[in-house]
Formats: sequence, structure tokens, C-alpha cells
Amino acid sequence: MNNTINQAYLKTRASVMAGQLIDATEVESYLHTPLQQLEKMFGLEGLSERGLSDAELNRTIERGLINTLMNELSILLRPLNGSARDILIYWSRKFELYNLKALIRGKLHNLPYDQIRESLHILPALISLPHEQLLRTENVPELLRQLEQTPYEGIARQARRVFEEKNESFSLDVTIDHRYYTGLLKHARACDSAEQPPLLRLIGSLIDRQNLPWLLRYRLNYMLSPTETYYLMIPSGRQLQSDLLKQLVNMQEIEQMLEALPAPLNDHLGECTNIMEVELAMGERLSYQARRCLSFSPSAVTRALAYLMLRELDLKRVFAIIQGRVLKLDEALIRQAADINTEVRHV
Amino acid sequence: MFKPLPMKQVLIQLLLDDLPQASLTLAELGSFSPNSADEYAESFPNIPGKQYRDRFQQARSRLQKIETHVQLTPPGKSLVTHVISDAELEQTNEWLGEVWERCSAYEEHFRRLTDEAHMLDQLEQALDNFSSLNIDLALLHGERLFLDLHIGMLPSTHVPQLKEAIGLADYLLFSYMENAGHTHVIIIGPKSNRENELSSVLDTAGFHALEIPPELQDEPGRIRQDLQLRRQSLDLEKQQREEAMSACADELRPTLEQCRDVLIMAEPLVAMEDAARSVGELAIITGWVPVKTLPTIEAELRRTLTHPFSITATTPTREQHSQVPTFLPTNWLTAPFSSLVKQYGIPRYGEINPTLVFAFSFIAMFGMMFGDVGHGLVIVLAAWLGRNKLNSFTPFVICAGLSATLFGVLYGSLFGYEHLFHAIWLPPLSDPLYMLSMALLWGVGFMVVISLLYIHNRLVSGELSHALFDTNGVVSITLYLSVLGGIYNLYQTGSFGVAPASMSIVTLLTLLAFKLIETHATPGERMLVATIETFETLTGYISNTLSFLRVAAFSLNHVALAIAVFTLADMMEGTGHWLMVIGGNLFILILEGAIVTIQALRLEYYEGFSRFFSGDGKEFTPLTLSLEGLK
Repeated sequence: MNNTINQAYLKTRASVMAGQLIDATEVESYLHTPLQQLEKMFGLEGLSERGLSDAELNRTIERGLINTLMNELSILLRPLNGSARDILIYWSRKFELYNLKALIRGKLHNLPYDQIRESLHILPALISLPHEQLLRTENVPELLRQLEQTPYEGIARQARRVFEEKNESFSLDVTIDHRYYTGLLKHARACDSAEQPPLLRLIGSLIDRQNLPWLLRYRLNYMLSPTETYYLMIPSGRQLQSDLLKQLVNMQEIEQMLEALPAPLNDHLGECTNIMEVELAMGERLSYQARRCLSFSPSAVTRALAYLMLRELDLKRVFAIIQGRVLKLDEALIRQAADINTEVRHV
Repeated sequence: MFKPLPMKQVLIQLLLDDLPQASLTLAELGSFSPNSADEYAESFPNIPGKQYRDRFQQARSRLQKIETHVQLTPPGKSLVTHVISDAELEQTNEWLGEVWERCSAYEEHFRRLTDEAHMLDQLEQALDNFSSLNIDLALLHGERLFLDLHIGMLPSTHVPQLKEAIGLADYLLFSYMENAGHTHVIIIGPKSNRENELSSVLDTAGFHALEIPPELQDEPGRIRQDLQLRRQSLDLEKQQREEAMSACADELRPTLEQCRDVLIMAEPLVAMEDAARSVGELAIITGWVPVKTLPTIEAELRRTLTHPFSITATTPTREQHSQVPTFLPTNWLTAPFSSLVKQYGIPRYGEINPTLVFAFSFIAMFGMMFGDVGHGLVIVLAAWLGRNKLNSFTPFVICAGLSATLFGVLYGSLFGYEHLFHAIWLPPLSDPLYMLSMALLWGVGFMVVISLLYIHNRLVSGELSHALFDTNGVVSITLYLSVLGGIYNLYQTGSFGVAPASMSIVTLLTLLAFKLIETHATPGERMLVATIETFETLTGYISNTLSFLRVAAFSLNHVALAIAVFTLADMMEGTGHWLMVIGGNLFILILEGAIVTIQALRLEYYEGFSRFFSGDGKEFTPLTLSLEGLK
């Protein structure tokens, strides 16, 4: 996007939309806001009164929140064209990849049609797979054959190779994620030279958040070799670059690995003792960096992407709160699900 | 004929055991449209047949997939029906599952053969590459004491990451060729206990090892021959597989067609969805039926159901009209016109069926714009000769041709020649102003008829105020006619006339008052919107009427084109002259014929339909014996 007016418009749009992002106090307040008011705030009026089953409730809330995000995405897309537009659309494909993983996992474990269908997000046609057709496939090879007829052909071909070699869902998930993030980088590199550095920094942060917890899991839980762990890492992280990753994969202890991280990452993760805490802390760090991008980035498309990333995190928390409250779960449990207790951690 | 068929909402109360038979009977009759029975959800909470539906959907999906490999003949019209039990459906589904497994294995095998052919291509290129290298290829063979060596290819996108990753295990990667998204590589490293580590990462990266024949350097011709043989054997295997599949298809076809018939007979119960509900042994079916078919439905259900049942039919209230499906009866003559009406939308229940108005006005306007005996008869002949391709649209084209012929007689035109016989009315170019005024009169008549249809439709919907005061209502049409009357007076006498003027002012003010009442906004905005909408009503009528000038314009254009063709033809002699006449007439027939069709459709859709029907009605979709859901 090289049009100054469009840049200014998109920045203004993103700034206005940023007013919808929720801070720690607001999230906390949602725990006690009357449920009907909360539902209304997020376009889910009358949800608790419909007597839905747990599965229906999940789907309805998810669908409502994804719709909100997709509507906002369509607003942000309006002034964009070319590669800048493509990267925002590509980012939103992650939701369809959740579906793809659910489909593959379901087929791999021979789950019934209804059970797989219930776990799928309903998405706009722009990024959606032909769910009904894929659900009606009877095994993973057939599913992958069908996928090869869709825009996800590349992912399907790679997934097929992994399935034939390894025949388990974990490797397929990894392959799909890897392919997605590589694609995101590729799209960022296709943007204008002025947009690229801030975009790559933001995506680098996203990749760091993905890489570190998975590096720990591959090495410490799944006991993969340093070579294979490194191969499964997504290249071009922001702080976790290839040399550092090579050092980390050769270490044996979580403490040793966290100590080896550069400042200020090691300070921030210094108190973590397990992978879950590392994941939460990396999530907070990403959120902090995305907020900075949203406020100060010279690139309008980076701001838009940062906004979408933050909004998705917010909506996930809101989803957890509404769902927990409709199901009348214990507040402590809702807090944990919505990541409220860790909100005060400094970044 | 002028209105959709009157409908009744029916409630059939029956025993649950009779539900499949009732669904089948209703589908055979093809005049029952199921409608959600939500209002009975409290008394009849269950929607029966969940497992049956799931099984059906799976079986249908399997059949659809199998049909991509096995061509089935279309289902016969005289299907001897019976109720499909759960067990029969299950058996059919299982058998289809087995057949699909075979087809799927065939697809997978075929896919593998295609991949192998691709690998052969890669191998051939790799060998070409190796044979031109000035190295001792024997070194690449066999087990080595200190060296672990791998030669192969992988997707090019994986190479940089793999190179770095295997570097951690002290391996080196060299790429020597890139082709079609794949990179050919040599991976080399010290022999150690890290070989397993390497093989795991190579698998993840999609690495395929390449065989390097030891005799490559000595006998390249033989290697090439081997590759050729492998390719031939691959092609042969493909061909054998295809033949086997074809033989298998021939063997399975009759049984598959029986399965298809089973699914056709099972579908009515599935298509009922929540129109059928049950509690205990009792069930209900709700839906819509045309009034005239009600006795037949009742009699047929009485004949086929084994247990007693009750059928209650109620006439929909005016408030329910938006829920009632619209059934537009058609015959061979009106079917194509009805299709074109449906392209715009479905009239609401109770509204005028616009098909006949559309058919008459379209045919008339086509003839007016394209009046020529010769061209008209050519169109009729072409439509008759191409009737197999035109199918149901044959009468449409024939009518258009006959209309052109009739107006050709009125205009005295035969293939553009205007002196061969005497015009019954007048040749268009002899008095263009008269033709234009006739077109205007046609337009005024069209607009009045359309407004009357609007008024009728609003009255049927119980919207009296809209019928009287809204755009296209009584007040608007009075305003339109009084303004037209005034303009005519002005043209004839030089004065607008007191009666038309006062009538125009009163109707204009009434229209403005109605718009003011109808608009919900702040006072200033309300005034602005109401004023603009009032004047837009008037200007809309005037501009839409002027739009009909094109009817005359195209009749003039038709003659003018013919004159142009004859002028060009007169510049030539002998064969050239006649070739020009024939070519020019073909040009007029094809190009102008298409333009006139589009213009007539535009006048119908834009000036006509948009004024009197919203097109948001629901089409009557009866249960039928088919595999395509509700039609």
C-alpha cells in the first residue's frame, strides 16, 4: 500500500478500533458484569436464555466472536490492496487451519461425523474450506486427496508426506503450523519495502511465541533430537534467531535454556519453572509488543495486523468468561481460563 | 393463471409407524412442501429418524463419490416404490461403503502411479546430470566405513532449514540440481550413532532417496532403456487399472442403480427434517399443499397408510402470507417465461403472477423493435430446428419470431426490403415522430398496468395506506396521469389546464404528506427526505415512460441497419451484392436480435417488475422422488 491517504485512513481506523481493546481492569469487571449486558456487548444477545447444550453454546459463542473479528477484518481490508491485503487475509486463515487440524485429528481417530462437525468454526467463504465435503471423507488419505483440490493444496501435499512417513496427528499439526507461519513470512516479504521491517518484527514476535514453548516441548517432553527440533522451528524469529535456537536445542534443562535467552527475554521468563508458564509469559510479551506496534508502528498494515492479533486474544478471553459464566463455573476456574491472574505481570 | 395457486397449511396426525410411508406417498404425489413444525415442538418434542438421516447422508455421499468413477443411467420415471426400512438403508450404506473403499483404493493407487511417474521424470533428469559429471560414480555406492552418504531430493522450500538442522549433527548438504519445486541434494557426514537422528529429520523434511545405478558411467544407454521400461510398465499398470476399474464399474452398475433407487425412496423421510415431529407412538407432519390437490393427497394417504390418520387443512391468514410458498403453475408455453420471471424473483403468495403480463408485453415489444417478416420467420425456423438444444425455451423463441413476423406484416418489411408488399400499418421510417408517440403511448399504458398490479398486490397484503398513497399507489398514478394530461393540453392548446393542474397539486401534496408520515427521522431530515422522495416519484414515472422511446428507436434502427446493408450491397454487383445482402441480414439477425432481447428484458425488469413486486416470495418446493433435495 503506497497510497498516503489509505495509510492515514487505515492508521486512523486501527486507532479507533483500538478503543475496543480491553485492559486488565475491564477483563476483571466482566467477571461481575450482568451476563445479559455482557452478551449484548459482544453481539450474543439472549444466549444464556436459549437453553443450548454445552456443545451448541461453545459453537454459538465461538461463531459470534469469530464473526466479530471477521467483520472487523473486512473493515480493515477496505483501503488495502495487493500484498498488504493478502497478508491480513492470510493471517485470518489460521482459523481455517484450526478446522483443518480438527478434521485431520477426527479422521485419524475415526471420530463420528457430528463430533468432528461440532468442533469446526464457521468461517466466511473467503477462507473457508468445503467442510461438508471434507467431513464426508472416510479416512485421512481421502481427506488429503480432497484437500488437494482446494487452495490448501500445498499444505495438503506436505501433510500427506508427513502422514505417510509418520502416520500421526502431532506431526501433521506441526507441519500445518510450520507451513502457515512460513507462508505468513512469505507474505510479509512480498509487501512494500517500507512495510517489511515493522511487519517482520511483529511476525517475528509471533514466531518467537510459537517457537520457544514448542522447542521446550520437543526437547523435554517428546525427547526429539536437537537436529529434528531445530528443523521443526519456524525460521526468522525476532529474538530467537537461528544461532540462538541452535544453542538452545543442544541444551538439556529448562533452566539452562531460559538463562541462555537474551535480555530482556531472560528477565521476563526468569521466574518460569515449566512450559505452561513460559507459554503464558511469551503470550504477554507478544501482547505487549503488538500494543506497541499498534500505537507507534510507521506501517499502517502492521498496525492493522497488530490490532487483529490483540483483538483475537481479547475475544478468546471474553469467550472463556462468557462460556464459564453461562455454565456457572467457579470463578477461580474462569479466571484461569481467561488468564486473568497473570494479567499484572510486567513486560 | 393470474395468481399463484391457493394454498392450505396441512397438519397430518398419524402413527409413528406410518411416517415413512406417508413421506413416500407425499413425495410420489409431488405436491406437498414440508414446513417446520416448530409451533408443535412442546407437544411433539422429538424429530424422528436421526440415525436414519445420518445413514442416508453417508450413503448419499458415498454414492456421489462413486459416481465420479461409475457413470449411472438416469433414474427411470416408473419407479416401483416401497418404504425403505432402517435395516435396508443400513445394508445399502454398508455395501456402498465397501464399493467406495475399492474406488478410494483405486484413486489412491492411481495417485501413487502419478507420483511415481513424476519421480521417474526426476530420476531421468538426475541421471542426465550425473552422466555429465566428471567424477567416479562408483564412490557414491555401497557402505563406507567412515562416511554416511545420502543422495536424493526434497521440496526446495525445505532445503535451507534442513541444511542448518543437519549441520547440528555434523552433516553437510550440497544441492546440485533444482527442478519443478524439488531440489536434488547430496548429504554427507561422518559415520556415527547419529544416523537415526538424521533419518528421522530427513523423513520429516520429505526427503526421497535416489538410486544411482553402479553401471551408470559404463552403460548409460542401458540405464536409459531401463528407465524407459519402468515408464512403460507404469503406463501399462495405469492402463490395466483403468480397464479393471471400467470392468468393475460395468459389474457394479446394476447394483449401484438399485442402491440409487433405494436412496431416492429413502429421501422423502430425510427431507421432512423438522416438518415431522413425534411423541411416543404419535407423529405429525406439517406443510403446504395447493388447495386443488388436497382431496388427492387425502385419498392417496388413505389408500397407502395402514393405520388411521387425520388431516387438517387451514387457510393461511393475511399475516401468514409471508410464510406461504408461492406455486406458479406453468405449461409448455408459459414455462420459459416463468423461468425468466423467477430470474428476477418469486412473487409473494397472493400477489399477481406476472408471467402472463411479462409474456405478452415481452413478445409485443420484441416484435415492435424487430418487425420483419423474413427475420421473424428465420427465427421461428431456427428455433424449430434447434428445439433439442433450446428445450423448454423453444416456445419462447418461436413466439418472439412470430411477433417479429406479425409486426413485419404491419411495417411491410421482408429482409429489410420495404417495397415488396404493402404495409398494413406503416413503415417505421416513413413517420418516425408518429412511431415515437406510439411508443410513448405504449409506455404510458405499461406504467398504468404496472401501477394497477402494485395497487392490487398491496391490497392483497392488507397494506391499504401503501396501495393508496405510496409510490405506484392510487395517488401516484393519479398524479402521473394528471401531469400527462396537463402536458398534452399544453401541447394541444398552449395551456396546462385547471383540472390537471389542481389534480397534480393535490396529489403531489398528498404524496408529500404520506412520505412525511412514513419517514422516521429528525424534522429537518424528514422534510428533506420526503420532498426528495416525492419528486423522485414524479420524475421516476416520467423517465421510465421516456425509456419506452427505445421501442420505437429500435424499430427505426432496424430499418436504418437494413438501409445501410442495401447501400453497401448496391455498391457491389452480382454475387457480391447477394453475399452482402445475406451477410448483412445475418448481422442484423444476430447482433440486433440479441440487443433487442436485452432491451426488452431490461424494460420488463427495470420499468416493470421493480415497481410492483419485490420478488422475495418463497417458491413452492414439493417433496419429490429424487436425490436432489426439495425441488
